[in-house]
Amino acid sequence: MTAEAGESRSDRDMRWSALMAAAQNGDARAYDRLLRECLPLLRSICRARLRDATDTEDAVQDALLTLHRVRATYDPARPFTPWISAIAERRALDRGRARGRRTGREIDIEHAGPIIDPSTPPAERGLERAELRAALRDLPASQAKALQLAKIEELSLAEASARSGLSVGALKVATHRALATLRKRLGAR
Amino acid sequence: MKTEDMIAQLTEHLAPVRRLPSPATLTLLWLGIALLVVVSAVAVMGLRPDLDARMAAGLDLRQMATAGLTGVLAALAAFQLSFPDRDRRWALLPLPALVLWLGNLGWGCLQDFAAHGPDGVRLTTSFPCLAFVLGFGLPLSLAMAWLARHAAPIRPGPVAVLGGLAAACITNIGLTLTHHLDAAAMVLAWHGLAMLVTTGAAGLLGPKVMRIAV
Repeated sequence: MTAEAGESRSDRDMRWSALMAAAQNGDARAYDRLLRECLPLLRSICRARLRDATDTEDAVQDALLTLHRVRATYDPARPFTPWISAIAERRALDRGRARGRRTGREIDIEHAGPIIDPSTPPAERGLERAELRAALRDLPASQAKALQLAKIEELSLAEASARSGLSVGALKVATHRALATLRKRLGAR
Repeated sequence: MKTEDMIAQLTEHLAPVRRLPSPATLTLLWLGIALLVVVSAVAVMGLRPDLDARMAAGLDLRQMATAGLTGVLAALAAFQLSFPDRDRRWALLPLPALVLWLGNLGWGCLQDFAAHGPDGVRLTTSFPCLAFVLGFGLPLSLAMAWLARHAAPIRPGPVAVLGGLAAACITNIGLTLTHHLDAAAMVLAWHGLAMLVTTGAAGLLGPKVMRIAV
């Protein structure tokens, strides 16, 4: 079962179907070959829905994880391509929705202004940093910790939760409140 | 992580999996469980005393047949949709039977109104209907969510809602056999409300069950 140049779509589908059936029986080599051969298809489906290259690759990885979790749902008597395509479509849609929700809250880093304006005289820059430090110092301990883990060290919520002992919900609330406090204190000018 | 590295990780410790039964087989399995529960409930509560006369009148028989058909088709649609490659239009499968169920009861309301005037369609409360359908239907909906737990990363919402509708419809047959409701308007209102509540609750809770079970 090797990939053949110029093979028809139906031949390719039958070959993939056989590889998936072998993978369901525990054949790791067949599974590896199948997933690697399917990557271009997964990427093209995700790219059609998501223009951003990073989002596309994230959606491809999501699709691979989903495919792995639901691999028992594939019926070798049915075509393989619609099965894997449906999974990729679903994950690309989810990524697209998540991107849509984020877009309103984010500024593209290319277009964002510097955090501290370089044209600001050095003495004032020092003053701004000192103000930021003071504001951070005045935050309640749980909020400062949440901000440190989630925004400065950029840990995932699960990792930050494991590190801090706070629940994911408590972390979200603490981070949100910390940012609101800082915004109020520094951002009003 | 690079995608190629992820593939290596996924394949490294690949365990064999048992292929899932077909949607039709899963439907039959769930219907077997549902019928067992409903028959047990009817056995405990007893048939309504005037059942023969009610069946002869036709309305209840048609009501049970259309509810049962809706339930079977909703269950099949739910299991079809739980597989990634099935067309989402499967969700429409139970709609014609549901329209027949509503139409039959609507026609019954008109007949009651013609025979008894406004008294024939007067509504009173009947909370036991709600309790019966919700009490037996919701666990059956969650049993379906468990059987269709592989749908968790694909389309858990539609599968759970259809599961709720299927469970409510099958439970509705048991309710018709045991509970004393004569007026079509009462059946439409209380059985309909019970089916709506059960379907809604299943739609909320079913995806959670799938995520926990998968």
